[in-house]
Amino acid sequence: MTTCLLLSSLSCSTRQSQSESSAGAGLRQIVDDAGRHISIPAKVGRVVSLAPNLTEILFAVGAGNTLVGDTTYCDYPAEAKGIEKVGDTLHPSLERIIALSPQLVLVSTASQLEVFTEQLKAHNIEVFVTDPKDLEGVFRSVTQIGDIVGKTSEAKSLVDKLRERAANVESAVRPLPRVRLFYQLSAEPLYTAGHDSFVTDLINRAGGESVTASVPGAWPKYSAESALAAKPDAIILPTGGSMGEGNSMVAEALRNSPAAQRGRVYKINDDHLVRPGPRAVDGLEEMAKALHPDAFQQ
Amino acid sequence: MLEVHELTIRYADRVAVREASLSLQGGKVTALIGPNGAGKSTLLRALNGQLKPAGGSILLNKESLERFSRRAIARQITVVAQESELRFPVTVIEFVLGGRFVWANNSGWGWESEHDLEVAESVLAETELRELSGRLMSELSGGERQRAVLARALATEAPILLLDEPTANLDLSHQATLLASVRKRCDSKNAAALVVTHDINLASEFADVVVLMKAGELVQTGTTREVLTPELLEKVFDVSVLVDAHPISGVPRVTPVHETLRHFENQ
Amino acid sequence: MTTALLSIRQGRVTLRKTMVWCAALIVALLLTVLIAALIGSEKLPTNASACSILSVGMNPCGLTRDQLDILFQIRLPRILLAAAVGGSLATAGASYQALLRNPLAEPYLLGVSNGAAVGTMLALVFFGTFEWSRPFMAFVGSLLATFAVYRLGRGRVGATPERLILAGVIVTTLLSSVIVFVTTLMDATRIRSFTFWLLGDLSGANRRLLPLTISVAVIGTVILTLNARSLNLLMLGERDAFDLGVEVSRVRITVFLVASLLVGSSVASSGSVGYVGLVVPHLARLSLGSDNRISIPSAAILGALFVIIADTVARTIIAPRELPVGAITALIGAPLFIYLLKRD
Repeated sequence: MTTCLLLSSLSCSTRQSQSESSAGAGLRQIVDDAGRHISIPAKVGRVVSLAPNLTEILFAVGAGNTLVGDTTYCDYPAEAKGIEKVGDTLHPSLERIIALSPQLVLVSTASQLEVFTEQLKAHNIEVFVTDPKDLEGVFRSVTQIGDIVGKTSEAKSLVDKLRERAANVESAVRPLPRVRLFYQLSAEPLYTAGHDSFVTDLINRAGGESVTASVPGAWPKYSAESALAAKPDAIILPTGGSMGEGNSMVAEALRNSPAAQRGRVYKINDDHLVRPGPRAVDGLEEMAKALHPDAFQQ
Repeated sequence: MLEVHELTIRYADRVAVREASLSLQGGKVTALIGPNGAGKSTLLRALNGQLKPAGGSILLNKESLERFSRRAIARQITVVAQESELRFPVTVIEFVLGGRFVWANNSGWGWESEHDLEVAESVLAETELRELSGRLMSELSGGERQRAVLARALATEAPILLLDEPTANLDLSHQATLLASVRKRCDSKNAAALVVTHDINLASEFADVVVLMKAGELVQTGTTREVLTPELLEKVFDVSVLVDAHPISGVPRVTPVHETLRHFENQ
Repeated sequence: MTTALLSIRQGRVTLRKTMVWCAALIVALLLTVLIAALIGSEKLPTNASACSILSVGMNPCGLTRDQLDILFQIRLPRILLAAAVGGSLATAGASYQALLRNPLAEPYLLGVSNGAAVGTMLALVFFGTFEWSRPFMAFVGSLLATFAVYRLGRGRVGATPERLILAGVIVTTLLSSVIVFVTTLMDATRIRSFTFWLLGDLSGANRRLLPLTISVAVIGTVILTLNARSLNLLMLGERDAFDLGVEVSRVRITVFLVASLLVGSSVASSGSVGYVGLVVPHLARLSLGSDNRISIPSAAILGALFVIIADTVARTIIAPRELPVGAITALIGAPLFIYLLKRD
């Protein structure tokens, strides 16, 4: 008993001295979405973002000036295009990142950069992994990032605004019957959103019910006959954003679906639907308005 | 049947055959002998149209060889050469029936007729391969396979046979039998045969006409007695030879005399 | 004499043998088409479906509009495409193997498939909406690839089969990297992902191009079968074939052209489905002998069977999700090929 007390007081004092020394050196400890313990300066001023949604979040909390490097896919807001590029989301250049001497690199697990993370750590560059699986996860990412770059209050007010907008949408559609819809990621071959996809959460909140919500995986290749048999009442076509103008036609198998016959085919900017960032709420609103136009007559 | 006038063939920038003239007549076996690189096989390859001559002409039954289609030539002239590597399993009968393709009505299709089968069976008998007809070619010995190649050539019923070193891989026993089949074909069906060979004595025994070739030129053409003389042979082969009469058949028998034998002479 | 005749004749292929065997295979194919049409990610009433299929769509037999659509607009076109692709690739493979005298020659290894893939990609990029550009550019692509392989493979002694296969492997790997490179850079919805090109996908059974693909498969197989006897001789050696009256260059050009057409039309509609051109002809020859008069048409029908079965597995095993058909043909084909190699 006494030994435990002794030991715990010893470790307590070591921790104290550690935090004292950390505080002294201006470092603090945080935990990222992968459960990793990160050591970062109290105020981070040089950040590299390796995902478009994280870039959007940084600008949205007013910390665009901390961004020293981002990916070729980071195109929003317009200022993001002018930031130094370190490569794409799948194969960023280690050398470029090191050359920019960032204090922190922000990573999205969607990019599968586990190996890369190890390499950066070996060069003493800290990596913060975010993993927003749904809208709640986005709010969490905004808060975390705001905290990291010293924009806590801006982040909080942004999250509050976004939450309010989302709540408005959800309450407007709550009393209405859910619309059965098919999310068409691409027509040929036919790909859709599965159980683990980010957009499935948005669909739920928007008053929709994805017919493929229980299919395992995030973006499964789907059987044409099952799509036909599902007879969705609405079809969402993500298009016009980073995806370009492709995917603007309904797949062959859905040409005679109730959705197509009633003209309930909605094109929505794909960046509003698959990037776990502030614009996801735009996507939520757009989907909800398309699915339940009567609920939003103002 | 086949007449060659002043034929010149170029091969890889040099002249392989220079102004060669010879004639193959029905019923006669012609042996073409000479050292390696003399151009014997090249000349043979030109005779069935495979190599295009740079000069001179080849007349098949008094018409220029160039006028004939591939199939028409193959009906008149057949080749027995070293067997190609067999990469797919094929039975002896299928192999030999390949010789009947020249008589098929359509170009690439068609099935063997009764007559085709009869011809195949008779050539298999002629080459002593009847018992092996159902076996795979890969199961046969080297000598048996060479006989199958001859059988296939005989199956085409072409009156002109060109044979390129047909006895090269055969046992002694089979060498004579193969050439005997050729001889028989020439005698019974008035076929003409040209045999390129290294074996001078075998040529001496079976040939009516011998052609001596060196460095692309035909040095001498004539009967065995006329051509197989020590002077000519020494000039062409660069080795001393002894020519006597074969004890049984009486045809010229050629024995090369090497340096090592000299000291026996002095004893 | 008669008994001797009988014994000699047993070892070879006759017209009758070929007709009987091909008829049996065609029956098996039709049965497989029927059964495959009754299987899918959506359950349809078996008797009613069979009744409707056998009436060639005339009689709905009590099926709903949607069920009829699934059967006749989605499943059957896909099965027919599978048959056409399988038949085309197997026939092309069998012909290459005979011509190049190598049991390992097949459209993928020879660079022909990837050439067709690059051609189709270009068609999608530049002439996206004009569907007929795809098989055409695919054909051009496979011809160019064949030409490149032939030039590369030509040594001093001419193009030996070994050199050609080596050249083919070089061209194939080069073109594979091109495909991955382009698909990574470009918008995947326009030109399909590289899994489509390198693993095949029959879900895009385009009804407008299907008649073309089927016609090409049938006509191509017929033309190559009509050259089967020449190919038998070519299989024994080009020089032998020449001596025995075969017009070697004419047959070679015909085979290359027709095989390129077959591969081109398959790849244009479904990407590269591997192993069909390798395993199926091998199987056909192993059981029927090397005579191309029977092994080429048999390979065609067996190839159709093989791909129909593989695709049925690909579209049902993780239903409602789908696997690329090339993954299944590889899973079946690779162990089968190893087994065949060991038997030889």
